[in-house]
Amino acid sequence: MESLGEAGIQALRLLLTGDPALWTIIGISFSVSLRAILIAAPVALLTAFALAYARFPGRRLLVALFNTALSIPAVVVGLTLYMLLSRAGPLGDWRLLFTQDAMIIGQILLSFPILVAMGHAAFQATDRRAWETALTLGASPWQALLTLIHEIRFGLMAALLAGFGRIIAEVGSSMMVGGNILNHTRNIPTAIALETSKGSFAQGIALGLVLLLLALILNLALLTLQGRGEVTA
Amino acid sequence: MNDAGPVLAVTGLGFSRSGRPVLRELDLALDAGRITLLTGHNGSGKSTLLRILAGLLPPDRGRWHIDGTPGSSWQEVRRSLLQRHCYLHQQPYLFDATVFDNIAYGLRRRRVPRREIAERVARALRHVSLEPLRDRPARALSGGEQQRVAIARAWVLRPRLMLLDEPVANMDKPARRRSIDLINRLAEHGIAVVVTSHDPQHGELRIRRHLHLYQGELSERRLRTEAASASH
Repeated sequence: MESLGEAGIQALRLLLTGDPALWTIIGISFSVSLRAILIAAPVALLTAFALAYARFPGRRLLVALFNTALSIPAVVVGLTLYMLLSRAGPLGDWRLLFTQDAMIIGQILLSFPILVAMGHAAFQATDRRAWETALTLGASPWQALLTLIHEIRFGLMAALLAGFGRIIAEVGSSMMVGGNILNHTRNIPTAIALETSKGSFAQGIALGLVLLLLALILNLALLTLQGRGEVTA
Repeated sequence: MNDAGPVLAVTGLGFSRSGRPVLRELDLALDAGRITLLTGHNGSGKSTLLRILAGLLPPDRGRWHIDGTPGSSWQEVRRSLLQRHCYLHQQPYLFDATVFDNIAYGLRRRRVPRREIAERVARALRHVSLEPLRDRPARALSGGEQQRVAIARAWVLRPRLMLLDEPVANMDKPARRRSIDLINRLAEHGIAVVVTSHDPQHGELRIRRHLHLYQGELSERRLRTEAASASH
């Protein structure tokens, strides 16, 4: 077994030399998770807005359900999706099991509650005068919504980052519905799980470093933007 | 200046909140180029009435005539009210943008050409004497300046009616005088103006009509100048 230090050094070497297997895995991870968040975000943010601004029966229950869904383990989402998409399942005809599309569906389901819960909190914190001011100045409801989104952009960006952070790092759902197939559905977390089980810690740590580096870059970007917001506010 | 007739007439206007009547069968007509003072105690429904007249709050009932045209459904009336009237909160909300972008907001939503926007915003900035602050973040301005930005932002849209909720509350004397002067000039431009207050003392504000809201009902009050001339 390699020591942690040796594994780290070898990991950096793999990253810096552009190891093709490693970079394919990284590419799949980003491609799947970015598509998932891009599909989930518009619907989730509209849901969050409706929960914050509209008054309808069952609204509080829905908020509670979305908050509860934050704690669902990824593996449970994966298992449920597996049962739905497997040959014998009700959606078996779609033939999506062990494809990137199945992984995307799983990640949409995982990121949706985070986006709704954090988006709802951000919309709830808005000043109602912003909405009314936009309308009284002639904005359509859609334009007023876009204005509101601009006003709370930092809170919504934090929601997107949190959602993306969860799905890029989740292993349970991707493993179950993706199948961890090399060059097809193997992403960073499933690769780490595989490499660890084989005792190849260097590649596992290299992939872990990529995840950490990504988190750092995203958070620094958000902090920079928020800093600019403070200056101009 | 347009003194032709009522820009807005509503009869039988009613509104309840949680089963409690807030406005009871009000009749109201507002003329172009006139400032109407609306007084009433805190919680008497002044802001509610203004928000209904702005199209921001649906009433329970009411028959509307907007610029002489009867409105059939609330949806249709609401659209007309939002297009023609501007409502200013007691503490106006300014967007997280520059003074220029705040004033240009409504013009951009109306798809006014860029060059015309620049001209109209420049005129509005001159109107409220805020030209040097054009590119400053609007939220960094003082309270009085923010209110002038909000007035300019509404004025630039050439509204038929402006609804100002307690526009000079909590202002120091110079800011108050400047705001009052601006409101008087709105009327000079032919805009019907409604100003709410719980205090009928408004110094230089050229009020042409005084309405008082009490227990959901509107009553006409004599203006101080009329009262003074009647006593001589």
